[in-house]
Amino acid sequence: MDAAKLLSASNLDVYRGNRLVLSNVELSLNEGEVVALVGPNGSGKTTLLESCAGMHRMTSGKVAWRDENGDVRIVRDFEGRRKRLPPMGLTLQKDGICGEETIEERLSTALSISGCAPSSSDLNQMLSAWGLEHRAVDRISQLSGGLRRRLAVLCGLSPAVMSANSRALLLDEPSEGLDESARGLLVNWMRALAAQGHGILIATHDPEMIAASDRIVSVLENGTLSSETQDCLAFAGELPDPCPAIEPNPLASHLRWAFRMEVRNPIDTISRLLPALISLLLIHTFVGEKEILVSGNDFLAALIIAPAFISVLVGPALIKRYAEADCGRWWSALLGPMHRISSSFIGASLILPLPLIYISWLILGDTAPAETSQDVLKSIWIIGLSLIDVAIAAAAVHLLVADLHRSNAAAASLLLLILVWPFIELTDALTIILNDGMTFGLGMEEPFTMILLASLTSVLIWLVAVFLPDV
Amino acid sequence: MFGIVVISRKQVGWAFTGLGSLGAIITAILSYTYAPGVDPEAWNAPEAYRILFWHVPFAWTSFVAYTILFVGSIAWYARRKEWGWRLVATGSDLGLLFGLGVVISGPIWGAAEWGVPWDWGDLRLNTYALLTGVALFIVLSRRSQPDGIDTRDTLSTVGLFGFALVPITALATTLYRERHPGVVIVKSEDSGLDPEISRVLLIGVFSFSLLMIGLSILTELSYRLHAELVELQQRLDEVVH
Repeated sequence: MDAAKLLSASNLDVYRGNRLVLSNVELSLNEGEVVALVGPNGSGKTTLLESCAGMHRMTSGKVAWRDENGDVRIVRDFEGRRKRLPPMGLTLQKDGICGEETIEERLSTALSISGCAPSSSDLNQMLSAWGLEHRAVDRISQLSGGLRRRLAVLCGLSPAVMSANSRALLLDEPSEGLDESARGLLVNWMRALAAQGHGILIATHDPEMIAASDRIVSVLENGTLSSETQDCLAFAGELPDPCPAIEPNPLASHLRWAFRMEVRNPIDTISRLLPALISLLLIHTFVGEKEILVSGNDFLAALIIAPAFISVLVGPALIKRYAEADCGRWWSALLGPMHRISSSFIGASLILPLPLIYISWLILGDTAPAETSQDVLKSIWIIGLSLIDVAIAAAAVHLLVADLHRSNAAAASLLLLILVWPFIELTDALTIILNDGMTFGLGMEEPFTMILLASLTSVLIWLVAVFLPDV
Repeated sequence: MFGIVVISRKQVGWAFTGLGSLGAIITAILSYTYAPGVDPEAWNAPEAYRILFWHVPFAWTSFVAYTILFVGSIAWYARRKEWGWRLVATGSDLGLLFGLGVVISGPIWGAAEWGVPWDWGDLRLNTYALLTGVALFIVLSRRSQPDGIDTRDTLSTVGLFGFALVPITALATTLYRERHPGVVIVKSEDSGLDPEISRVLLIGVFSFSLLMIGLSILTELSYRLHAELVELQQRLDEVVH
């Protein structure tokens, strides 16, 4: 790849549904140019732009980017290899934004993922230029469509604005939903960024955007391209100064984002806690001491673990957040192959299993003798930790199902049947602890071994659910 | 004078399906009229054993169906072969049909004979339940999701996911059986069956195999025709557009 090329797509064949949308496509984006992808509806502009971001599987070809060190990195190829994108800017057609975030947070996240550490005055300056400063601490869900779109476009531009290195920006229909002044600002900023050596690829119908481009690439109905250059007469605006660069850590950004969303609107916690508590109360109401004494400690063990187990099986709220305005696709593009791994941890119920299992024991464990009770209290946390492994495996299975276009119409629970095995192992372990106390031997009849096996089973399920789809 | 009779695949499919269905009915009749009873002292529900004559053929045919599903999943996952996808569709449909037969007839027999409808230590029962769940997921998803490369990639991954879980199930059931012996006592296959029982069983297995072949042919033909229809519709879309 030439030193001036920021990205190149070669021999691309991409299907959407059963239709071959892109056929043997060759496209490159160089430093200092604005390239407009044009074509009729359904021609494949968005598919091409998103393929350049490594967002689509391809049946032929590869997409390569130049990273910050000047090395060529193949971000996706037809054999399924995938790597994280170098720092770049991305604006999707549907914004790619979760409504729970505030404007300031969203801009900050987009910058931190791309290795920029702006000060609050840098952020305010950019927000002010786009007419968003007065809403900086408002949630995105409260914005009008136009302001939302301004934010989405700004988040796509800002990784280049704040960087001294040449970067590629991919913007899908950026002017859609913008008013005249915002469109003018967009053109000015694009020209200014191009003058600074950044490359911008836009998919657009807008004549104003097309006129502001250096090269027009037409996506034809048969999935091939034709290209022509033009002289661009648009003015370059003034941009804020770049900010200091930091080592990008997309995983940390992802974790912070997910944590903030859950703290702000704890739907994941509530949707897991409620069924667990209801099941616990029902068990306490309808299963008496007599039944437990008659049925034995294995029955008691199953009842104690069941509420926590129910809580870990519930589908992650993260998946619902991802479904909002293509938010998940934006994260998937920027995290690359780490997206599924990261999401399976972040989306899992990491906090609830431990307290739930203790609550279960405190409510249901009255029938056990005092010495047993002390022993269980000291060791039941190990079972809780193993349930966290089960939670992570369950989240991975839910994420596997979420790949389907209409994932809400798919019965993910059918694939969760396999998790009955860790539940059985943990029940057997707790039964032995109730009968004989906790021991840490590694024999097959030892509770510690059973707990390890439950965790191992969960890990194997997680490995299959996480790595199989992306191989 | 010697007319050449051309038989279509559809006719072959229907013939096998018809013969297989007839054979299954005959098997059911023979299980009551021909197969001998078992020692009532040795069995809790001596008449319930006759479920065997459908349970075993269900198990055999679902095993074949899951194999078809597995081969198809690999073929699509690795090489995106169209025939692989048709095998996934056929294997999941038939795996669901015959797998349900296993996981329904097995617990009925278990409840009647051993008082335990489900044995977590029975490797085959648990494996079939797991794979039937996967088959059901694939069947439902094929109906609810738009067909395309992405959907097929995900569903073939799910198919392989199901099979990757088989050894996990095997390990888990083995461990469970070591800790919970004697929940369900299954007669060893080495103990030898009464010749009349073996005969009816063979008729059952043969009949269900014919049924499976017939349904496979018809299902595969149906998907082939559907694919042709989709292609024609797409061409029509382009003309209208």
